[in-house]
Amino acid sequence: MTNAPLVAFAGISKTYGNGTLALDDVSFSIAGGVIHAICGENGAGKSTLMKILFGLEQPSSGAVLLDGKAVAITSPRVAAGQGIGMVHQHFSLVPSLSVTENIVLGQEPRRGAFIDRAAARQRVVDLAQRYNLLVDPDAVVRTLSVAAQQKVEILKALSRDVRVLILDEPTAVLTPPETDELFERLRDLRAAGLTILFISHKLREVRALASHVTVLRAGRLVGDAPLDAIEDDAIARLVMGQAERPKLKRGGRVSGAATVTLADVSLAARDAADRLHDLDLAIHAGEILGVAGVDGSGQRGLVSVLTGRIQPSAGAIAYDGHSIAGLGTAALRQRGLAHLPADRFHDGGSKRMSLVENAIAGAHRLAAFSSGPFLKRRAMEARTVQMIERYNVRAPGPKAPLAALSGGNAQKLIAAREFATEPRFLIADQPTRGIDVAAAAFLHERLSELAEKGCAVLLITADLDELLALSDRIVVLYAGRIVARMENGPDLTPERLGPSMLGLESAA
Amino acid sequence: MIRSALASFVITAVLLVVVVGIVLVPIAMQMPDPLAVLDMFVLGPFRNPRHTGNIIEMATPGMMCGLAVAIMLRAGMFNLGVEGAFFLGGLATVATVLLVPLPGWAMAPVGLAVGAVVGSSVCAVPGLLRARYDASELVSSLMLNFAALFIGLFIVNYFLRDPTAGAMVSYKIPNDARLPRLVAGTRIHLGTIIAVAGCLLGTVYLFMTRAGFESRIVGLNPAFAAHLGLPIRWILLRSQLIGGLIAAGAGGIEMLGLYQRFSWQGLPGNGWTGVVVAILARDNPILLIPAALFLSYLQVGGDLISRNFDVPSEAVGLIQALVLLVVTSSAIMRNPRLLRFITGRKAAANKTSGPKVAEGSAA
Amino acid sequence: MSDIDFVGLLSFVPAILRVTTPILLAALGVLISDRAGVLNIGVEGMMLSGAFVGVVASAATGSAAAGLIGAIIVGGLLGAVLAGAVHILKADLILSGIALNIAAAAGTTLLLFLMTGDKGMSGSLASQVLPKVTIPVIADIPLLGTLLSGHHILTYVAFLAVPGVGIFLTRTPLGLRLRAVGESPESAAIAGINVVRVQVMALIVSGAFVGTGGAFLSMGYVSWFSQDMSAGRGFIALAAEVMGHGSASGTMFASLLLGAAEAIAVALQGRGLPSELMQTVPYIVPVIALVVYARRRQRLLARA
Repeated sequence: MTNAPLVAFAGISKTYGNGTLALDDVSFSIAGGVIHAICGENGAGKSTLMKILFGLEQPSSGAVLLDGKAVAITSPRVAAGQGIGMVHQHFSLVPSLSVTENIVLGQEPRRGAFIDRAAARQRVVDLAQRYNLLVDPDAVVRTLSVAAQQKVEILKALSRDVRVLILDEPTAVLTPPETDELFERLRDLRAAGLTILFISHKLREVRALASHVTVLRAGRLVGDAPLDAIEDDAIARLVMGQAERPKLKRGGRVSGAATVTLADVSLAARDAADRLHDLDLAIHAGEILGVAGVDGSGQRGLVSVLTGRIQPSAGAIAYDGHSIAGLGTAALRQRGLAHLPADRFHDGGSKRMSLVENAIAGAHRLAAFSSGPFLKRRAMEARTVQMIERYNVRAPGPKAPLAALSGGNAQKLIAAREFATEPRFLIADQPTRGIDVAAAAFLHERLSELAEKGCAVLLITADLDELLALSDRIVVLYAGRIVARMENGPDLTPERLGPSMLGLESAA
Repeated sequence: MIRSALASFVITAVLLVVVVGIVLVPIAMQMPDPLAVLDMFVLGPFRNPRHTGNIIEMATPGMMCGLAVAIMLRAGMFNLGVEGAFFLGGLATVATVLLVPLPGWAMAPVGLAVGAVVGSSVCAVPGLLRARYDASELVSSLMLNFAALFIGLFIVNYFLRDPTAGAMVSYKIPNDARLPRLVAGTRIHLGTIIAVAGCLLGTVYLFMTRAGFESRIVGLNPAFAAHLGLPIRWILLRSQLIGGLIAAGAGGIEMLGLYQRFSWQGLPGNGWTGVVVAILARDNPILLIPAALFLSYLQVGGDLISRNFDVPSEAVGLIQALVLLVVTSSAIMRNPRLLRFITGRKAAANKTSGPKVAEGSAA
Repeated sequence: MSDIDFVGLLSFVPAILRVTTPILLAALGVLISDRAGVLNIGVEGMMLSGAFVGVVASAATGSAAAGLIGAIIVGGLLGAVLAGAVHILKADLILSGIALNIAAAAGTTLLLFLMTGDKGMSGSLASQVLPKVTIPVIADIPLLGTLLSGHHILTYVAFLAVPGVGIFLTRTPLGLRLRAVGESPESAAIAGINVVRVQVMALIVSGAFVGTGGAFLSMGYVSWFSQDMSAGRGFIALAAEVMGHGSASGTMFASLLLGAAEAIAVALQGRGLPSELMQTVPYIVPVIALVVYARRRQRLLARA
């Protein structure tokens, strides 16, 4: 037995086809039988590195060493053969298949030419019991909660006899209590001899779980130390570089008249995650109302009914006291609605269209940008250049496609478009998810500014720090109901939100 | 930007030559004098003004069907009803000039208008079903092409058939209804000018009008269109109405420009050619003109060798199929090594000189 | 309803089954491709090619079986070609399918001409037909005999293939992998499945089914090949698969519905009704069925 570490990265670099350098000469090693955390901001290269280890990406140079020997991990199949499993941030489950089918997929037990369904089911039951990860083996994955799907995802990795289990930001979709339970299970797994690679940007979790931390920033290795030899502040500085996350704190401000009211609004949707039950809510001019809740607690349904995409099945929604029943998105936008969608490239713009087209779309029928059936291309371009300057969008030029922009810059351009209408009611859905710190701070300031001008802002976010920094009031959604309402203030902490986010406690 | 456009043009041109060669050379080798066959195919169309004129005549429906396909594809609609709309448009135009008593000067405009409206139904009905019920326009338009064919043949057989003609063809199209010829010694007719103007107007529509802008938003990203509150269903329907009117109008123009009688016994295939033209032009209306001219040049070459050497002109269908395949092949069209080879070293230098750190790409 | 009507209706059964056979075979092929996420739009051209090769191969060998095998092989080869277009050339799936249809229409005519000097029909080729099957005891039972016995061998193949394909998709490892690839290729790849290989295989099997359907056209339905003889049947099969909502049995019922429409059209044709209008029926029924299906799905989405 040599002293070679279980996994070692030796000078790994990764350049993508478009010339972006995701990893730059990264070298470090991981000892067997520990929980090893890898920290960094979004875009630091954590996920790329893990994809290389799991065979989903190939390094441009450098090598992965397992037990001291260089191994070319060319596909997930090779990785599985080496005992490497991965729980993905966006789960890799097939929604219409059952839990059992998903777990055995690719290594089905056979009886003759057929799948041995009894054996497959038994395999799942045994596995679930052994690791205390209880799920219904016959449930169709689509119908499961996010936390249950994550269990399936872990079981799937475990069923392949892993030595190394990679978890890519596993807590992003979980409530605090669910996170605690996950950590218990992960400690069990470590006790059973597994090596766990835990990817996170949440220091608290890293501290609670791991024994060693590696920090990446902008594709480079900037820190690698046992956790008992490094302070939280030091890790934070390594993660963030020079930039400090600015701490805005609003809360408890006096607000104006109710701009938008929901009275007993219910939505019967096919997807349980979209359903709403008897929502009573008012969003006032000049306030930011924060919506907390685990992903899939009804946020999407709430956005759909407020933007006129779907009519509620019961109850009434009013803008300025006038019912909006039967009105579609276009009519509501005319009445002062603006919306920063959660998925900016899916709903917020068109990647292949130019910045001009993305920035003016929606306003293109205004007299400023069209005469008769024709567009005023020059006026459109001039306004876009203005937006780019005012929102500090780093872009090659107004005619570049939206795809050429980074996530943060694209979000700033989309925000510029949505805010340009001087909205009376704004829905900001995950406004800073996955974008850089500077862009997030910029958007936070714009949101505050809009509220100060009298806009009613509904802030939906999974980032509790953002929620607590910006909101005046907070409501907690759980399973389509409002289960808690609170005024924001210095004493409100993520820990206090946790129980109601999981539906353990109802303060409504 | 200009370099990459040039590169794509060069690759396309080289590919077209290669594709023509791949199909034609083996067929020519079967003949006693292969070089004469190739010579006739490649240069024959230009030796005689009449044959050169044929290229332009044949490109006319190609441009218009290509325009119809391009406008619908830009809205994200795979509506293949162009084939049936062209057929039914031609028939309805002929039926109108034969059955409706009209003064001579009104025959062509009224006939074409009626033909365009009637024929457009083959595109519009799938469009309506898609907009109203979310039924796949691809499948229903494929079906309705054949329904249009048989309804058309029924009308010819029962209402327009000239019993003295011997075959199942219509009565003669009155001379007053014919479109004027433009160039002596050829059959180039007014329709060619309409087609070219149509392609120019198509560019204006797609890139300079509100309606065209909206249809491109829907085509590129329907979720974005929904976010903006655009009337998606109406935009989808509108694009397919416009596409259907153009395709059916093209059928009428073809009839009044070139035919003595309505004599199609099956779907004439112009709609499929339109798909190839639109793809070759990358849905860009201006480029439809050279794309259609190129494909009809192949067709004229094919017809010439068919007449002179007893080689079936169907060889051209094989060329069309290969053109469609290689032009949509991103492995060829976007091959980095190929692009670098054509654009010189510059592209390679760009790549290494400005590495930037990925943002969000890791997520 | 009188007895005569009943017997009259029963006499329709063989006709319906005959018309359904090529549609069903092709639709099962489309089903396999669709479930793997590579909808086979080239079905029309593959069918035409199968019909052509069936005639040519059986004429060359004097064996109907060789003709059928030839048709299956050419179908599979064209499936491989389509897969190559999508996976090697990285071309668009639907456009590649359209290209295949254009190429098959041109290629079969061209080859027929090069082989026989004739462009329209294969009359000069001494091609073979595949046999009908009489099931011994059942054939003698009055009603059941008409229903179950005396059909074309490929009719039995087609209907027996329905449970075969169904079991393949739901109960075998490959079927499970195929469905995973079709629904979520990224997840399948992460589970260690070679997505490209599964899709290539699906298109080859799809082509083999469609080629068999093509063989029925020229070696069962009639005994010759003629230009464009598939006449949109491949597209009808596509409609049947879409109507069948991704299941083998659903595809069978949809194929039977469309087959019945065509059989009734053919029967009415003999009664002095305008034949052209009757010929539109098999193309209009799928559109109506698609709309009915789409409406139902819309209502379900709205209600649930």
